[in-house]
Amino acid sequence: MVKHLLQEILRRPLGMLCLSVLGLLYACTIFSQFLAPYLPTDQDLEKAYHPPTRIVLKDWRPHVQIYEQVDPAAARYEPVHGETAAISFFAPGREYRLWGLIPAETRLFQVEEPHRIYLLGSDGTGRDVFSRLLYGAQVSLSIGFIGICITMTLGFLLGGVAGYFGGRVDFLAMRLVEFIIAVPSLYLLIALRGALAEHFEPEQMYLVIVIILSLIGWAGAARIIRGMALSLRERPFILASEVMGQSSIKVLFRHFLPNLASYLLVAATLSIPAYILAEAALSFLGLGIQEPGTSWGLMLQQAQELKVFTLNLWWLLTPGAAIFITVITFNVLGDVLRDIVDPRQQMIKR
Amino acid sequence: MAVFLIRRILSAVPLLFGISVLVFILMAVAPGDFLDVARSQEDIPAEYIERMEEEFALGEPWHTRYFIWLGNVVRGNLGESWIYRVPVTELLAQRVPATLVLSALSILFALCIAIPMGVLAAIYKDSVFDRISSLFAYAALSIPEFFLALLAVMFAAQTGLFPIGGLSSVEHEFMSFWGRMADYAHHLVLPTIVLGMGSVASYMRIMRANFLDYIRSDFVTTARAKGVPEGRVMFVHVLRNAINPLVSASGFILATLLSGSILVENVMNYPGLGQLIFEALMRQDEFVVVAAVMMGCIMLMLGNLIADLLLAWSDPRIRLEKN
Amino acid sequence: MFQHNSGTALPSQRTEIPFLLQVILVLLLALAGTGCKGEIPGVERPEYSLPLDVDISSNEPGRYGGIFVTAESQQPRTFNPLVAEDAYSSEAIGRFLNGLTFYHPLKEEVVPELARSWEISEDQKSITMHLRRGVRWSDGEPFTASDVMFTFKALFDERYPNRYQGQYTIAGEPIGYEKIDQYTVRFSTARPYSPFLYVIGFIGILPRHVLYDAYEQGELLQKWSIRTAMHQPGELVGTGPFSIRSFRPGQRILYEPNPHYWRADSKGRRLPYVDYLITRYVQDRNTETVLFVSGQIDVSAITPGDVVGVNRNSELHDYTVHHRGPATGIRFIWFNQKPGTNEQGRPYVEPHKLEWFTNKKFRQAVLYGFNREGLISSVYFGRAELLHSIISPANQRWYNPDVRKYPYDPDRARELLASQGFVYGADGNLLDQYGNAVVVDVYASEGDDITPQILSTFRENMRDLGIRVRVRYLDFGTLVARISRHFEYEAAMMGFTGGADPSGGRAIYLSSGRLHLWNPGQEEPHTEWESRVDQLVYASEETFDPDERVEYVHRMQEIFSEELPLLFLLTPHTYVGLKNKWRNVRIPSMGSVIWNIDELYLEPEH
Repeated sequence: MVKHLLQEILRRPLGMLCLSVLGLLYACTIFSQFLAPYLPTDQDLEKAYHPPTRIVLKDWRPHVQIYEQVDPAAARYEPVHGETAAISFFAPGREYRLWGLIPAETRLFQVEEPHRIYLLGSDGTGRDVFSRLLYGAQVSLSIGFIGICITMTLGFLLGGVAGYFGGRVDFLAMRLVEFIIAVPSLYLLIALRGALAEHFEPEQMYLVIVIILSLIGWAGAARIIRGMALSLRERPFILASEVMGQSSIKVLFRHFLPNLASYLLVAATLSIPAYILAEAALSFLGLGIQEPGTSWGLMLQQAQELKVFTLNLWWLLTPGAAIFITVITFNVLGDVLRDIVDPRQQMIKR
Repeated sequence: MAVFLIRRILSAVPLLFGISVLVFILMAVAPGDFLDVARSQEDIPAEYIERMEEEFALGEPWHTRYFIWLGNVVRGNLGESWIYRVPVTELLAQRVPATLVLSALSILFALCIAIPMGVLAAIYKDSVFDRISSLFAYAALSIPEFFLALLAVMFAAQTGLFPIGGLSSVEHEFMSFWGRMADYAHHLVLPTIVLGMGSVASYMRIMRANFLDYIRSDFVTTARAKGVPEGRVMFVHVLRNAINPLVSASGFILATLLSGSILVENVMNYPGLGQLIFEALMRQDEFVVVAAVMMGCIMLMLGNLIADLLLAWSDPRIRLEKN
Repeated sequence: MFQHNSGTALPSQRTEIPFLLQVILVLLLALAGTGCKGEIPGVERPEYSLPLDVDISSNEPGRYGGIFVTAESQQPRTFNPLVAEDAYSSEAIGRFLNGLTFYHPLKEEVVPELARSWEISEDQKSITMHLRRGVRWSDGEPFTASDVMFTFKALFDERYPNRYQGQYTIAGEPIGYEKIDQYTVRFSTARPYSPFLYVIGFIGILPRHVLYDAYEQGELLQKWSIRTAMHQPGELVGTGPFSIRSFRPGQRILYEPNPHYWRADSKGRRLPYVDYLITRYVQDRNTETVLFVSGQIDVSAITPGDVVGVNRNSELHDYTVHHRGPATGIRFIWFNQKPGTNEQGRPYVEPHKLEWFTNKKFRQAVLYGFNREGLISSVYFGRAELLHSIISPANQRWYNPDVRKYPYDPDRARELLASQGFVYGADGNLLDQYGNAVVVDVYASEGDDITPQILSTFRENMRDLGIRVRVRYLDFGTLVARISRHFEYEAAMMGFTGGADPSGGRAIYLSSGRLHLWNPGQEEPHTEWESRVDQLVYASEETFDPDERVEYVHRMQEIFSEELPLLFLLTPHTYVGLKNKWRNVRIPSMGSVIWNIDELYLEPEH
């Protein structure tokens, strides 16, 4: 089925485009340690709010233009005429562990200290925005995936069980779902985070947020899946397998899961953007990922300042663009998927 | 019918109980309490803080406090805000109208834009208009709301066409009645658009899909065959039916009406419920938080109830007693 | 939050849509075309005679008219001074209530307000205050010593706990107050207390004739809430320059001149000059700056990073961004030095870490190793300075510029660490003499945009010293609970706003103080230098000689900067934008910019 789906997506230009954009984004994320010239925490206080560095060709090799600060009060930099630093490719730098496992030291590109290459400028403490974007993507792009896995698993288990068994189980499960839905989600989120934050290390904050988001999000999915399970239950093949004495668990996973898979897939694709946007919103309220961690939402929140507009520090808004592109791609892909799985758009009507 | 209503209302009671208990537990688990701000000020004496702890029963475990609260609620007293020293009901009532107006307007705005656009996109499927409108829909869904609000503030500042946030101008109370109304309306334009933008996109996509469904259905073909004019087919037969199924989830709208939007209210400086509730949450002003959450729940349940009634009324195939 | 609520749908809207659409369109067009600028009419000023003891402003006489618009980030929570805890409420209350004395931010001394003069007795334990005669409340009733008596009676009433009770308790005894005659009151303190004149001005004197009934019925704290301001603003009776005309929660408050105000100019015209004072509530700081830049508010604080951007529009809307110098507050990182264990018998701080933290040289080394200068040039755009003392340089009267300073000097830091037995391990990490790696958790409160930048830099700088710093952000309440109740933390970062008189900081300075952060609430001073500080604080409060007081406070600052229980960070420069059309503006180095709002007037061509 997966293979068939992939073929169908690739047949459509829009689907192909989305898939390649996402593929590129995720590839960059996976290899961010190799692609980023700096660590997300590497500061250079002399080069705060540095504009993106120009790349020039010198002796047929790419060099990075060197700048000097002319007005610290306005963070204004001017290129120093004729002064450049060579960019070295695939050169060894500070050691790191790829994916936390494989020791490595090669980076795609870097320049000799004390010069710096800022493809997308630097922030208030001279950290490279490009590197931070890459590292931030690790959070922003995975938060949706992990979240959706938890949501869909919970939703499928509870919704499926409720729909399949019906009766008292159904009644209880649906009251639980109503309970979750009835609590205003943002308040629940803030309260839960406040309660949990103290017991976790800052590095684990990411996990806390994903768990909170999915704990709130699963109820809606469960309700829909229950509806679908209710109608599935009456189908002859389910009745047949029951008569043949298959255990309930088996029925649930053998027959319900494959039949609901397409719905789950589409719903998952369409829900991922909600997680990415929710992470950004949480960060905006100061409740998301925290320094020294980094995420697109956090970076965007740090750029919510008037000076970004008045001093034209546009590069600080690139995380916004990154969020925009990712979310739009997931949305379009979700629609393409829905067209393939369900050409008459039954799903929307439930 | 009456049985159905009574059953629904009765079933809401345990839910409300559960939620109020949950809120109290969460507030108790959350570290710190209301007096932390006072504790951090160098010139507030310790005796005063002790007195306050006693007055607010902050030393008691949560269940004791819960039963005190419950006792008051039964007697019709929702408690007093610790921050403002004003009854909770009154505090919330100050903000409800502003939030209600903004939410209603933004939903209305979303509907007014989304329905015609969705219909047109369905009628002229795959045309340039369809493409552009779906592009717009995707874009609108992909911008974080708070960022849009920030852009709106910048836009207002640059052009001077609209006020920068707020609900009324400083001259407000010296205006005539119509002047005041116009003043409100002027202030509401940008927040309405910002808040409605996301819904425009999702409503539009739903509308388009539903409309397409019905265009292809049998009764439309029949109507066409019987020589009903095309315009009448589209707008009477198809549109009417295409809107109908959406009623089923309309309860959700009612719930959102009162929840307010903290993010947009913050940036656009709108004096709605969101700001107040967020402050109460952050300061742990217990009774305000409980009351606000309960209000949100009641709105949601009311919304679901109304949606079910509407659905039963518009679609005779559905019988209320069944579920 | 979740935009993809697949349940989102709409109710049936059949015939209303076109109609509503029309209405909205018409409205929109009307708005875009006509705009809706209303004119505010001038205020009526009834001619009441000036009080006998009128205060004549020494500033140049101005003319009536104009509307002054300010912005605050939050609205007042109450208009009742006995309930108010926050600066926003206090500010609003200060517009319509006066104290007996007032701290003049330019003269940097206490000047008369409702009290016209005072005498200090021989033993310095009683102070006789002469009230201004002929002053009337804004509703026309006379102001007398009974109002003062009522205010203090209410304040010390058991039924009404409030923050002043503790503030007006000196050496364990509440201050005494008695009425001598209609315009004279006498206060007494258990021991000589020189900040008395400063402190006594904090409480706004309440109108007895308005609040007495509520006081008797035990409902005083329920009076004068925001509900009163909304529905019966006339009930908020005061002696201050303004009365509240209307209050809209979350939006703004509108003040009009108090027709009975007790100040006038040299031409005998009653102050204030402005017709209206409006305070708008703007939660988002960026929005406030945008409002100022587009000319919609008259005054606004500008952050260092925005100065250049804001200046660009100064011609268009005719304003100036004034440099006010360093901020009044102080900001610091500190290490927990509390010895002992909690109820479960676990030490607050692990013993080997406590040994580092109580070592003065360790604290000094950390501060030497922190590149605060770099932070100033980057995060603050060069518009900040190092903080060297526990009192901000903005407080010129009390600040001691000659304390020990700790410029960025990582080599010095390493030397100091080495001298205390710290060594470097193979991986470059710092180890103490027992071989424990130096790892410190720093707690800070989230939600401030500068804090993460400071702490990220601190973390990087400490890594260069071989110290591993882990930063943990908590919400403010949690942080306060940790540092003031559970004491379970290693290091933290915080700040205080700072007041005009050092007596406001005694909770920090005194070893028994509640906010003696590194080791609060000590029964006996734990170290020799802390007991020296205690003595200096008490001495400074007992002498009435201003120079002697300054001397004591200077010595206290020297001890703090040498011992470094708090690692002072930096103090940003503050900037304020103000429209050029206002005259009589006197910007002080600390406190409110428009502290003399009653004297401001519009320049003639406006």
